[in-house]
Amino acid sequence: MDNKIENDPFSQNDTILSSALSEKVKYLSDLNDSIKDGNDLKVYELMDPNRFATEVKGEQPDQPKANFFGLAADLKTQLSHHLSNKLIDYLGTTYPFFYYHEYDLGKFNIYFGNWWDHRMFGELDAINVQFNFAEDEYNTLSKSFELEAQNKRVNDDQMRELGQKNEKLTQLIEDQNKRDQRKEEIRKQIKENEEKSPMPWEAGKVKEEHQQLQNALLELTNIDEQASDGRAEIKKNENQILALSKEETIYNLEKQNIRASFGSFEAFIDNNNNLYAKYLQSLSKETQVTDGE
Amino acid sequence: MSNENNETEKKVLTTTELLNNYTGSIQAGLDNGTKYVKAFESLNQTTELPDLLTAAVQLTNYQLNTDFVEFPHQFSDEDVQLVFFERLLKLSNNANGFGISNAEHVQKLLCKFGSLGDNTFTFTKSTKNPAGFFFGPTAHNRPLFYLNLKNKELMFHGSSLIDYFVVDLEGLEVSAIKQALQVMIQAAEVLKENFGFKIDFNVLDGVNGEFYEFAAGKIPEPILDELFVKSADNQYILMSGENGGAALTLDNDTKLTVFNAGNEDRPKWGADIHDNDQKESWLNLLLDYPFIKDWYLDNKKQLEILSNKIIFG
Repeated sequence: MDNKIENDPFSQNDTILSSALSEKVKYLSDLNDSIKDGNDLKVYELMDPNRFATEVKGEQPDQPKANFFGLAADLKTQLSHHLSNKLIDYLGTTYPFFYYHEYDLGKFNIYFGNWWDHRMFGELDAINVQFNFAEDEYNTLSKSFELEAQNKRVNDDQMRELGQKNEKLTQLIEDQNKRDQRKEEIRKQIKENEEKSPMPWEAGKVKEEHQQLQNALLELTNIDEQASDGRAEIKKNENQILALSKEETIYNLEKQNIRASFGSFEAFIDNNNNLYAKYLQSLSKETQVTDGE
Repeated sequence: MSNENNETEKKVLTTTELLNNYTGSIQAGLDNGTKYVKAFESLNQTTELPDLLTAAVQLTNYQLNTDFVEFPHQFSDEDVQLVFFERLLKLSNNANGFGISNAEHVQKLLCKFGSLGDNTFTFTKSTKNPAGFFFGPTAHNRPLFYLNLKNKELMFHGSSLIDYFVVDLEGLEVSAIKQALQVMIQAAEVLKENFGFKIDFNVLDGVNGEFYEFAAGKIPEPILDELFVKSADNQYILMSGENGGAALTLDNDTKLTVFNAGNEDRPKWGADIHDNDQKESWLNLLLDYPFIKDWYLDNKKQLEILSNKIIFG
């Protein structure tokens, strides 16, 4: 252990410290100016200089740039609120089918479309310029695109099944008269069977016949029961089919809108992945145009 | 005692007095008849709308028979309403083929619309109000509107109009149906403009913002789901509206909005329609858009449009 303190082992001196602090002060003052000037492009650069350099400017810096964003990191929600203004304007033209609701300061839910029962589709991250899609919703949309290529729909199987159930129930209800007739016949046969006084060697056969008739009757009354609950069941299934068609209608609108803006789901994904660069480049173009005027 | 004497004295009439009373009573009966004839002539011949209304009001519930004079052939109060209605339309140039169809005898008069073929219509007296009459098709018991000339009221009955024009007459040209509806609307307009009648156009009201109130009060979501699916099948998109409501933009910027005009606790769901010409009514939408009609009929119990409950109830 070295107890001497006169020679600073870390080569620290006040000049260095002061310069470091000045840099920080300058950072915060730059950030503040950019906010006041409405220069969102600069704000984004200040928040993440390395990402900005590689993705927006296309540079490959040898060394990572100093990042002072930690100094303002506790103001993320306020910054997000500030930055969302221009970002949402931009998204309004590139993703015209998305709608945003700021449910808390700087926090935005994304809604897909403004049609009836539109889906909540995740959140918008204004700081990182990216969509954080809700997994379930996004996966269903993705599946819907996939199935569409095979001429199928997400809810097809379920809807077909419910439709078949209803057809069957309708048939059961319609067949009530036939069953009533059949039951009458069986009852007659049972009566005849019971009136027989068989020879001992035939007794077993007669008894067996009796049992078979009883079973047939029981089966028919079971079907009767199903039929009598049928109407309520049919209504229930119809409601489910309606709910499923509604979902399909929503998926269709979503797909239509994505195609109208991007041509394909793949192009949509690609654009999402490059959103940061695309947005900031568009801001940069805007700034140049304004400067030129 | 003295009272009895007085009465006995009163009852003793001379022959002259008796005959005077007799002729007086007959004359009064004849005068009553003359007054009736004058009013009837006016109903039949006047070219002035105010005289026409006065005559019709005078003749409605007119006590034509007296103890001494009776008239065997009389038109009913219902007939008077129909004659009035026909002449009102003709005098204001709105008949468009509307006319009384069986004027051969004194009997219950019927009428036809120029565009509705052989379907006949007539007035029926209200059981609640002797001055009130329901107008409807003779083949169906459907009060299309209520007319009270004395109180200056005409009220259309929404669900009857729909049941008749959308369901009973299904298959008929929509333009023919609209022509007949227009005749009734015009009659109401003339009554409103000339005499200040109180009119409830109900499902025929084309004024923007007219609220068509649904019978159910609260509309469950699956009903709007169904409209959403049916609209999409027909290339219209039901948009999400305020407070759980929905809006549908149809052709020519006609916008149908379904919403809760009440609040959570006391819901009052209904619809309104906005269009540039303020002409589109609920009934027109049902006639013009089969998918809206199907939706309405599928959920009629909830979506039925309310009419005046006291008059039609």
